[in-house]
Amino acid sequence: MQPGPLPHTADEAGQDRPAWLATLSLKRVATALALAFVVAVAINPLFVTSFPVVLGRMLVVAMLLLLAFTLAGHWQPRWLPRWLAQVLAIVLVAPLATLAVYLPSTGGSLTAILRHEGLVWGVLLITGTALLIAPVFALGTLYRERDAQARNQQLRFELEKSILERQALDSRLSLLHAQIEPHFLFNTLANVQALVESGSPQAAPVLRSLIAYLRAAMPSLDAADASLGNEIRLVRAYLELMQMRMPDRLRFAIHVAPELEPLRFPSMALLTLVENAIRHAIDPSEQGGFVEVGAERDAASGEVRVWVGDSGAGMGDKVLPGTGIVNLRERIAAFFGPAARLELLEKPPHGLRAQIVFDAPPADAP
Amino acid sequence: MNRPTALIADDEPLLRERLRTLLGRLWPELDVVAQARNGREAIALFDLHAPQVVFLDVHMPGLNGIEAARAVARRAELVFVTAYERYAVQAFEQGAIDYLVKPFDEPRLADTVQRLKSRLALPTPPARDTLDAVLETLSSELKRRAGTEAKAHLQWIRASVGSSVRLIPVEQVVYLRADEKYTLVVWEGGEALIRKTIRELADELDPSRFAQIHRSVIVNLHQVAQVNRGLNESAEVQLKGRRETLPVSRSYLHLFRQM
Repeated sequence: MQPGPLPHTADEAGQDRPAWLATLSLKRVATALALAFVVAVAINPLFVTSFPVVLGRMLVVAMLLLLAFTLAGHWQPRWLPRWLAQVLAIVLVAPLATLAVYLPSTGGSLTAILRHEGLVWGVLLITGTALLIAPVFALGTLYRERDAQARNQQLRFELEKSILERQALDSRLSLLHAQIEPHFLFNTLANVQALVESGSPQAAPVLRSLIAYLRAAMPSLDAADASLGNEIRLVRAYLELMQMRMPDRLRFAIHVAPELEPLRFPSMALLTLVENAIRHAIDPSEQGGFVEVGAERDAASGEVRVWVGDSGAGMGDKVLPGTGIVNLRERIAAFFGPAARLELLEKPPHGLRAQIVFDAPPADAP
Repeated sequence: MNRPTALIADDEPLLRERLRTLLGRLWPELDVVAQARNGREAIALFDLHAPQVVFLDVHMPGLNGIEAARAVARRAELVFVTAYERYAVQAFEQGAIDYLVKPFDEPRLADTVQRLKSRLALPTPPARDTLDAVLETLSSELKRRAGTEAKAHLQWIRASVGSSVRLIPVEQVVYLRADEKYTLVVWEGGEALIRKTIRELADELDPSRFAQIHRSVIVNLHQVAQVNRGLNESAEVQLKGRRETLPVSRSYLHLFRQM
């Protein structure tokens, strides 16, 4: 396999250790030797040879089996599961390894071993115990490997989770920095000033909207009151202020089912979409247009859809999405989970609709 | 002696009205001959009335105040009205162009009125050589900030989904594959057929992100997990978190050669 053109995921890079020794740890060698020692002590009474010789043979067989196990683990053919390859390797290598340790005692003659009844018994005994013990050891190792893999995966999940949490925190911090657009604020204040100076009765309701907007848009780290209802109140105050500023150019409507208002909702998310709609559909147009805000639960899927539609000219193919939209996409995923999404739709003949789609159980109270 | 004349251009009616009221108090002889709601109207009304003074809001729909000023050029005294645009204020300062920052108070407008009066009293007001340059800089700055400037490459792919058209950000596209007369777009949120051909898309997409790897396949390089090389100069692309693979034909194999 050739490496791809881009950096690989972390887990692939992390396994770049010397190839076939990758899984042969000191701990495994020690375990195999200890097992061999126990077996040697157990079967020693059956042998006429001295204990050190039995132990020596047992240790060599154990090491050869471990080597076979490790190599078979590295082999990884497509047609044979790894664990089966490893167990098969042990079964095949056990008699061969035992024969091999007996060879020096007969000066390297295989026929001499087979003719000597005691030696044949010895070979059969060691092979037999090896065949009994080694697969158990192998399966134990395999089980531990699986366990380690599961732990690895767990760690990866946690890493991903912490990355998401950090992103959410980042976007919240950036929200604290610039929630209220100064251009909007000063223009609105200029209008309030005009109303007050001329003694207009409109001044009081406009100030009420401005206060509602400022209160909702003030930095707040308290996520508990981030509900769809609060967000709708913010958006309504914003749109009322914009309409006071451009009465002949902005029309708006808000339709939200009351039972959706208690739903958890990231603060300023809907406002970002409404500001975008104003920027793209109202600001550039001499005739102006309309902005529609709505929230509904899809009867079929049960998903909640919160949307902002406008009457603008839509989006050019090559117009870069604003940073607001890019950040919002990440915030929504961090807030509602990966199934939530921000969709942009064009409604013929014209107009853009941006919608946030997320899953929320119907009885989700704050 | 003729009364001095003025034009007010602002898209927000309350602000137009306030400026007119204040001017009536501070400069009673001034005749506000017309009010415009956008840049296009401002130019038309200027051509009709030829006022000596023009108050221009920077932010207006359609044609903005800067563009309108470029059309009026040096045929009138200009006063810009703006809210919080620091870059604009800086440019006006440097170009010695008169401006008001919203919300402004009466004494500030009184200063402006004084300056305008003294300039109008001169037989020929001194020319502002830097005016055109400042306006040109501001004009491009405003376009940049509006974010409506088109990029060189495709940013969105339009795909019909039901009765509406879905705008798919190109960074979410995994790959595109020719499907008879159409092209299949596979993105992180689903699949759709579009009418654009692979050839058109290959021309329009950003080549640093997308690569054509087969006569009928374009892949988002950020979505590639690895490239598996097969026998006989063939290869296939494996995608991140996806089961399907994409063919790399021999003529495109060089794309992955140095990697």
